Amino acid sequence: MSLLARYADHLFWLARYLERTASLARIIETHLAFDRGRDEDVSWAWLVTLHNDEERFRKAYDEASFKNVIRFYLADMDNHGSVRFALRAARENARALRAVIPTEMWVHLNEFYNRYLVMTEADLDPIRIARTCEQIKSGCYAQLGVAESTLYRDEGWRFFRLGLMIERADQTSRLLDVKFAQLATGLSSPAISSAQAKADDDTFWSLVLRSAVAYQAFRRFEPRGADADRVARFLLVNSSHPRSAAYCLMEVQRLLGELRSGFGLRRVGTAQEQSEALLELLQAAAADASLATRLHAVNDQLQRRLIELTAELGRTFFGYPEPAMQSQSQEQS
Amino acid sequence: MPELELRQACDGCYATRFNGLSVMEAALSIAGYDPAPFFCELLHQTKSSRRQLELVRRRLSESNVATLVSRAREAENELFNLGITFTVYSDKDAIDRILPFDVLPRILSADEWRIVETGVAQRVTALNLFLWDVYHDQRILNDGVVPKALVLGNSNYRPEMAGLDPPCGTYIHINGTDIVRDREGTFRVLEDNGRAPSGVSYVVENRHLMQRAFPDLMRGLKVRPVSNYGDQLMARLTEVAPAGISDPCIVLLSPGVYNSAYFEHIFLAREMGVPLVEGRDLVVENDRVYMRTLAGLAPVHVIYRRINDDFLDPEAFNPTSMLGVKGLMRSAHAGHVTLANAVGTGVADDKAVYAYVPAIIRYYLSEDPIISNVETHICGTRDGLAYTLAHLDRLVVKPVGESGGYGIVVGPKSSRAELELCRRQVEANPDNFISQPMIDLSVCPTLVDGKVAPRHVDLRPYAVTGRETWVLPGGLTRVALKEGSIIVNSSQGGGTKDTWVLGEDGS
Repeated sequence: MSLLARYADHLFWLARYLERTASLARIIETHLAFDRGRDEDVSWAWLVTLHNDEERFRKAYDEASFKNVIRFYLADMDNHGSVRFALRAARENARALRAVIPTEMWVHLNEFYNRYLVMTEADLDPIRIARTCEQIKSGCYAQLGVAESTLYRDEGWRFFRLGLMIERADQTSRLLDVKFAQLATGLSSPAISSAQAKADDDTFWSLVLRSAVAYQAFRRFEPRGADADRVARFLLVNSSHPRSAAYCLMEVQRLLGELRSGFGLRRVGTAQEQSEALLELLQAAAADASLATRLHAVNDQLQRRLIELTAELGRTFFGYPEPAMQSQSQEQS
Repeated sequence: MPELELRQACDGCYATRFNGLSVMEAALSIAGYDPAPFFCELLHQTKSSRRQLELVRRRLSESNVATLVSRAREAENELFNLGITFTVYSDKDAIDRILPFDVLPRILSADEWRIVETGVAQRVTALNLFLWDVYHDQRILNDGVVPKALVLGNSNYRPEMAGLDPPCGTYIHINGTDIVRDREGTFRVLEDNGRAPSGVSYVVENRHLMQRAFPDLMRGLKVRPVSNYGDQLMARLTEVAPAGISDPCIVLLSPGVYNSAYFEHIFLAREMGVPLVEGRDLVVENDRVYMRTLAGLAPVHVIYRRINDDFLDPEAFNPTSMLGVKGLMRSAHAGHVTLANAVGTGVADDKAVYAYVPAIIRYYLSEDPIISNVETHICGTRDGLAYTLAHLDRLVVKPVGESGGYGIVVGPKSSRAELELCRRQVEANPDNFISQPMIDLSVCPTLVDGKVAPRHVDLRPYAVTGRETWVLPGGLTRVALKEGSIIVNSSQGGGTKDTWVLGEDGS
């Protein structure tokens, strides 16, 4: 008998929320290190812009200070893009899956969540924040590891992986947009022809690589060092780095193929076409000599089409009504 | 091997001491434990399993209370991390609470269990026959054994069930019987639960916990296993599948994650290996029930539903229900799906109908009840009302429609003002109340505030019925953790204990 559609839905979103949580913790962690290096009190408005959260943020906070932005993204239950919200959503999805997922997976997530719940003000303090992010990140990695080594390899597993890959592609795309967000919020000035600006810029793109856990791999692949063009190409189309958009989408293709051939789910057709088109978009971007200047437009396209792909899976398999509506808590930021 | 040596030493001295028959009362020498004047579940004499009981008493006497307390704390922590919890939702957060768990087990000897097991099976058999009769010929009503008005005028009577023939004539597939023991140790039924009795997950999980946390306490005892509950349930529900379906698709229908008993729904689905569905996962087409799967609609044949009658089918009952499935009753009438428990069983476990269960047993089975009722006065009758009002300070007054221990007035423990309020309520709506003498519930040694103290307990054994009835050896022992309290419900400060049914002594 085929898997209950709602289980596939919950598995898809469980993976997405875990990946989202880890990404958020990682991006904060790496940029904290950058801030400390520059030793000045900089605005964190770019993080808000990156997630298109300006309106909601302004409703709750006066200024985009470090303290406020960190609170908004780590601890604020009203922010549907916060770690706290995402972890709770991950746990709610896991709760609905408890009859099918191994007890180990549930217990691990439950312990992780209970540890996170006792987080206090002190854990958000600049002195402790790096450690807090590190704990969140490793909690998510461990959770994904438990899933990898215990989840039964049925249709549900494929939907879990689909959620993971779609979220990861989305998060990588957002990382590539940080510069655009910083320019938009006036944190960075457009590159000027001074040696300092060039050095700052290279440092910045190394930081993006570190945020994508791609620094070591990139150095091996591209000994010339980081700049906007090379980093963008690496994170968009490299076929071996597990966080590149192309890698994630090839994995999506493979998973959809398995659902069709191994589980008789012929209705994956539309999703297959969409992911095919996404890969073509990435290849076209890679062939573009002026990719660095058009990066935001590419990212915008990529993120939009990932939302469409998610909506298609929802309509066809999870029983979401037309037009694409996501169930209450499961929204894409 | 210090543990083993200890046991052998115990066994040896037991053989020489037990023949005197006087050692028992003194055997549990945990400082300050004195159950008097109540019946103690651990210290009384039994006809069977004596050797094993003596072994447990010894081990408890020799254990260090501080160690017990710290191990108990670890055990509770484990329950929390396992998520064996009920969830209280506020605006922004889900607060998980565990049901307080007491590590000192409640123990039933082989002969005691035989009474409970046969008594429960007898009762469930009679109630199923009663339900068939009520929804078909109504012989028992026409013969005047049970008052017609009490049944047909009952809010839990479902005329929609008239003429429907559930497979094997079984209406109550899953039953929980609340049983207490009085000061003499006699078992008495306090209440039947034939709708959707909860708590069986705690029986199994408590046992797993005890096996992990206190293996030394159980060693060498023949404690009957409870972990096959899921298999038994699955087998019985397969028996009641619609005619012609030999390999039925069984599902568990839950109101969803926000239900406080959601953990139990997970547990049951997992132990049976069946999908845990919500109303939105099911659909009825051409009087047949289907489940939405990735590959499309898949037929469903048996539904263990944990949604109340009212909310089960908006087409037949409460039209505003978002939890149920439109058309389930149509499908049940057409014989395409079996609902477990059947709709309308509430007329058999009603607190007023309860008073007639001994008569119901005699009527259908021509047997005397193996376990007696507690003497019950129905305030809806003239005599019952008069007696109740005249003896309010000595009786326990219960509202008929409530569960969870709500609204119960314990006369001997109530103030004059409370009794006066109760009198007014009973007089205003006598049909809504029954009264019973206060039973001095038996006690069990229980860890409270770092000490071992006697606390009152009850017992809810679970019976599963397909073609025949099987009773899970054990059941949920609920304990009133407040000193002197006889209300064991979790909503009123109750906890649970593991319940050990011992096999016969012998080699």
